[in-house]
Amino acid sequence: MAYVIGVDVGGTFTDAVLDDDAGTVLAAKSPSTPPDYSRGVLDVLGLLAEQLGRTLPEMLAETHHIAHGTTSSLNALVMGNVPDVGFLTTKGHRDSIFIMNVEGRYLGRAPHELQNILGQDKHGLLPKRHALEVTERIDRDGNIVVALDEDKARASIRALLADGVRAIAVSLLWSFRNPVHERRLREIVTEEDPEVFVALSSEVSPRIREFARNATTVMSTQIGPGLRDYLGTLESSLRDHGLTGPLLVMQSNGGAVAAKEAPATAISTVGSVLTGGVVGSVALGRQLGHRNIISTDVGGTTFLAGLVVDGEPVRDTTTVINHHPINVPTLRVDAIGSGGGAIAWLDSGGNLRIGPRSAQAVPGPACYGNGGTEPTNTDANLVLGILTERGLIGGRKPLSLELARQAIDTQIAKPLGLTVEEAAAAIYAVQNAQTGDLLRKTVVEAGHDPRNFVVYAFGGAGPAHCAGYAAEVGVGEVVVPLGPVASAFSAFGLASSDIVLAAELSDPLVVPFDPQRAERNFADLEKLVRDGLERQGVTFEAVELHREIDMRYTMQLAEVTAPVAGGALDTAAIEDAAAAFEARYAEMYGKDAGFREAGIQAITFRVRGVGILPFSPALPEVPVADGDATPSGTRPVQLDARLGYLDTPIYDYRELRAGHVLTGPAIVEVPTTTVVVPGGTAGTVDHLGNLTIRTTGVAS
Amino acid sequence: MSMPIPGSEQFSSRAVDAGELARSLPSSLPVHTVTQEQIDALDPLTYEVVRHRLWSVTDEMGEALKRMSGSPIVTDANDFDFAISDELGQEVQVGLYNTMLVGAVDLAIYWTLRNRAVNPGIESGDMFLCNDPWVGGGLHQNDVIVYQPVFHEGELFAWTSAVCHEPDLGGVGLGSFSPAAEDVFSESLPTPPVKVVRGGRLQRDVADLWVRRSRVPMLVGLDLRAKIGANNVGAERLQALIDQYGADTVKAVMKRMMSDAETRMRGKIAALPDGSWTATGYQDQSHVGDRNLHKITVTTTKSGDHLTFDFTGTDPQAGVINCTYAGMRGGVMLALLPILAGDIPWSAGGLMRCFDLVTEEGTINNATFPAAVGRGPIGPAWLTGSLVAECLAQMLDRDLELGRNVQATCCGTWDTAVIAGLDERGEQPSPFLSIMMEPMAGGYGARPHADGMDSGGLLGIPMGRVPDVEMTEFLYPVLALWRREEPDSGGPGRHRGGLSASMAFTPHGTSIPMGLVLASAGKAVAQNGGLAGGLPGNTGLDVVVRNSRVAQMLADGDVPTDVDAMGGVVEPGQNYASSYIAPGEVFAMRWQGGGGYGDPLHRDPAAVAHDLREEKITAAAARDVYGVVLGGPDGSDVDGSATDALREELRGRRRASAELLREPTGGTVDLQSARRLDDNLVEVRGELACGRCAQGLGDPSSPEGLSLARHQGPPTGAGPQILADPADYVDAEVVFRQYYCPNCWTALHSAVVPADHADVIAGAHHVVGA
Repeated sequence: MAYVIGVDVGGTFTDAVLDDDAGTVLAAKSPSTPPDYSRGVLDVLGLLAEQLGRTLPEMLAETHHIAHGTTSSLNALVMGNVPDVGFLTTKGHRDSIFIMNVEGRYLGRAPHELQNILGQDKHGLLPKRHALEVTERIDRDGNIVVALDEDKARASIRALLADGVRAIAVSLLWSFRNPVHERRLREIVTEEDPEVFVALSSEVSPRIREFARNATTVMSTQIGPGLRDYLGTLESSLRDHGLTGPLLVMQSNGGAVAAKEAPATAISTVGSVLTGGVVGSVALGRQLGHRNIISTDVGGTTFLAGLVVDGEPVRDTTTVINHHPINVPTLRVDAIGSGGGAIAWLDSGGNLRIGPRSAQAVPGPACYGNGGTEPTNTDANLVLGILTERGLIGGRKPLSLELARQAIDTQIAKPLGLTVEEAAAAIYAVQNAQTGDLLRKTVVEAGHDPRNFVVYAFGGAGPAHCAGYAAEVGVGEVVVPLGPVASAFSAFGLASSDIVLAAELSDPLVVPFDPQRAERNFADLEKLVRDGLERQGVTFEAVELHREIDMRYTMQLAEVTAPVAGGALDTAAIEDAAAAFEARYAEMYGKDAGFREAGIQAITFRVRGVGILPFSPALPEVPVADGDATPSGTRPVQLDARLGYLDTPIYDYRELRAGHVLTGPAIVEVPTTTVVVPGGTAGTVDHLGNLTIRTTGVAS
Repeated sequence: MSMPIPGSEQFSSRAVDAGELARSLPSSLPVHTVTQEQIDALDPLTYEVVRHRLWSVTDEMGEALKRMSGSPIVTDANDFDFAISDELGQEVQVGLYNTMLVGAVDLAIYWTLRNRAVNPGIESGDMFLCNDPWVGGGLHQNDVIVYQPVFHEGELFAWTSAVCHEPDLGGVGLGSFSPAAEDVFSESLPTPPVKVVRGGRLQRDVADLWVRRSRVPMLVGLDLRAKIGANNVGAERLQALIDQYGADTVKAVMKRMMSDAETRMRGKIAALPDGSWTATGYQDQSHVGDRNLHKITVTTTKSGDHLTFDFTGTDPQAGVINCTYAGMRGGVMLALLPILAGDIPWSAGGLMRCFDLVTEEGTINNATFPAAVGRGPIGPAWLTGSLVAECLAQMLDRDLELGRNVQATCCGTWDTAVIAGLDERGEQPSPFLSIMMEPMAGGYGARPHADGMDSGGLLGIPMGRVPDVEMTEFLYPVLALWRREEPDSGGPGRHRGGLSASMAFTPHGTSIPMGLVLASAGKAVAQNGGLAGGLPGNTGLDVVVRNSRVAQMLADGDVPTDVDAMGGVVEPGQNYASSYIAPGEVFAMRWQGGGGYGDPLHRDPAAVAHDLREEKITAAAARDVYGVVLGGPDGSDVDGSATDALREELRGRRRASAELLREPTGGTVDLQSARRLDDNLVEVRGELACGRCAQGLGDPSSPEGLSLARHQGPPTGAGPQILADPADYVDAEVVFRQYYCPNCWTALHSAVVPADHADVIAGAHHVVGA
């Protein structure tokens, strides 16, 4: 027997999914255990072993690998809970990370925050006394204009060390064209103290535009030592418990990397838990035959949307963390608004608004009875009958209809002159419509038409709304992944991931450029990637190398990534890449949007290496129905304000079988969530136990 | 200045009465509207869903424009905007980019409805183009608007619009900026509304006529397509919204969005006490060769729930520093939107009903044709906005809650530096032209509860952006010696103004001199004033270092970071100049930071120590400006008793250098019953008093004036942030003036102004200048 285990360490829960080579899939959930998250990981692994009827060492001894996603690095950055680091940069340009191109004031802010200019602020990543300049200068062609002044640099490094700094980020102008000064600085640091963690921008992010490169290198340095310590602890304790296979860490790019390799480019792991759901969607989509998927993961406070196009997740080259642009190849995942805990409120004009403020875990929605008095989506769903006072059938938390009604009545219904039921219906409809607007924005901005997609909806709060927001964007089919991984879909994604390494280098060139130069760039990058894959300590079934170039029209700023064919690079291949760039540009920004006459530039070369693991977890088939589905009961539910409360059949998911068809309106109660099947749609249980909701065009 | 041109007045658009405009339209142009009953009947659910959808439509228009544009001014600096307006042009939803444009967009549509409805007609499938700042749509000729009537079932339903700054549209100067222009005929030709798309087809002849004027016709052609694309996106999505909810519902929502914004703004205004506040500011120099100061003055009167901005007394139009009525209105929006409407959706059509403008024709911010208006947005309109902001700040400072939006003046202008030359780094030498975008990193003003944001940007372009040094060096043959925040550039105060930054470059990769065109202001006088005794932020300074040793220094292994250490001759760049920089020379520019708030001697010494550690200020400023004595191993521990003593000594120096304007007549007041005016001043039954020591300061309306002490001296007395020597720029005497409480010697008002400036203390209460 051989197992693959995915572990998703969230802020509240640690989820795990185990899959073996005989078609078994198991899931487990256990509380996270900050600050030492490794305890929670062992707890959840213990639960898996229990389900297998084996001991933890027995299970780990037969585990091929563990793929691990963690939110702790991202949390550390967002909460500012990072150690002091030093920053060395080119003389005259230290303030790049304080001026932040001005955009550090507004990047990543929600629309209502963007408008509230006087409510914005901008915070540097570190105190100025830890940001020191070194005398050196390299120009855009990589020529050394001023040689590195080693004596002064050494004095600066000593000053940082004397101030207690144990990690140093080095980012010099044009270092990606000529890294000689950055490398020498690392040598000097190591000469001074070999234990100090050093990150070079020419290795973490060899990409043009110094502000993002500086910020990326600094953040990577802020989380590198912590990640190193955490993974060290976790790995040694897993080894103690018998794990022999590799421990892998998920990266923002949707692939994993060996735990011992991760800290050096720690920043590449920050998005790991966000991307798990998208990778899971790709895996499930492969089983279901869906190639275009909008993946929606709705929790209590966040609504995450990712895209899969033609079977591949949509990627991005940059993300935003704490209002800083961060260069990290990533799966595109937009946090677009609000989850189940989003608060409904009236603005000073008496207009109904929902979110983005959330009731968080504490106090939570009013109906939780933890002292919350502001009405949330969850409270509205309770009033509408989508949820009941019993709470989730797999949960132990009863809900208070009284408190939900009271909150909606006081805050929304009375001031608007509505009944509590009308107000709840308005909250439900506004939430679905606004989510639809934001979802549309995500899909359209990536250059696609939402009508060509299927929506996947998971997370505790998604399935109650997914049919509604899907309809708003014109999507006719929604899949709610249920079955064994319903509550741990992101961990399922981790278990199904391969190893992905990327290497990139900015080398701005005008098309058509010398193919030999490009070939040299790619050859260097491919060597980096191949060496990296070799260091993972894993046997791959196959290795794929993908070449790509970020290109742009000379007069236009938007860079778009174009694939480059493998094999010898000649003029024709460069022309093909340019043509691919133009096609993609037109797709994203519209026909005729590009301005070819001004020429095309290649900016950044990149190689993405995928080490394909010999495992591809698949969801097992569920038993087939031998008759119609029988509701476990009915209750009055209001899904459409025009129709009011209708006596609606309620199904217990545990009683459903493959092939069951539920005509909307209907409610499906799942141990971990509640699914709404609105009127005019039908829900079908597929062979894997998922519920697929399709528009029937027949109004109820 | 040329003589007025008869016949030009028909191109001057003004705010209109919507009802009157609707009645004036010909029967050939039926418009779609709804009744008040329909608006009132909207349910909250539909309203919120459609409102949010309209926001997302506008957002998509902006994305389309930004992605298709070829101009770094749009794509990198975000100098553009877009809007959806109702059938009469009133703005329902606007973008968050250049907020001054919001004050101009509707004017172009009003004018079009009045002047194009019959001939050539306004029809479905049309788009108009306009860059006539008198008509509106933009603030100067470089702002080009493309806008489209959207029809539903044969009725004019709405308008979409997209406007952005074009890099060059002809005229004498590079970038259409002519620093020596005496009238508009030296600048880009203003083009009144012309149909550039007809029946959905781009009119090739019109498009050619349009791009032919430019030095960069390809870029202008591309931006034209970008704007057409953005309008197409807007129309398509608006149509889909109408199909889903019905035209009447969508229109009712549009109308209610405006009236909702209006109601909320009025509610805010009504909550404040009535009053009147005056602010006056200057542009130093009007064009190449001029050495005068040019004044804009505004009195803001708040009565009930309405505001009036009265610009009477503003100087006559001069040189290139003028803007049209659209510019003045745009300047008002620059201040109004963030300060009074940060938390109100920007349905500008409603917000604009909350104020009136009073102005004299032929003045700097309401210039008549053929005044040169090339610097309209960044000179006079901006100053208009700064002055309106100053009035609003004084108005709001009386209220602690609304006072959260009080802000001393931010960076007061855009320092223009255009370079052009030959890039010899590639195989083929190629010409280049670029505007330095660094001055986007201006400082924000200080607030009653917070310091101003350092290099926070420009108030009028909330989403402006500075390009990376590497992109600049990649594109142009320059080597950036530094780009840094400048210590001490923020106006001193109890809360410090935000720092500005500076940059310097030397040619690198070119063997011939590159051209340099300069246009700026705020060298001789401060344009970034403080509030409540806070001092102005830094004055700007742009210099060229001729015959410098920079090449030798680089070769010797050092990167120069100090203008004074480069040898050679430091030549202050005039505000308006056509110059050059040769290889081996250096151009260095410092733009403006934000003004301070409150008396710097009241600043928390710990904050001063922190500022020193973070290099926001110098050690000299900590001591001399803030009166804080620091010691300890790294020189950043506050010595409390020495600080108290030094501050006492500095107050003693204030006493010694000031004249008493009037002996205090009354005693102290009861502060419990006093009403706050600002950080220092209170009012008790019509009498002004010092809120710090309760000293009565007299009745502001009494002819004898107030019991205040006043210092007057050279501008450098305001602090190390005063960089330029006024005599390098203007003939008039410029002074630093500061007013004090004659008892506790708290600074109540500080300014760097011309000697004949009329100081205003505590609202509209005038103290005549020396």
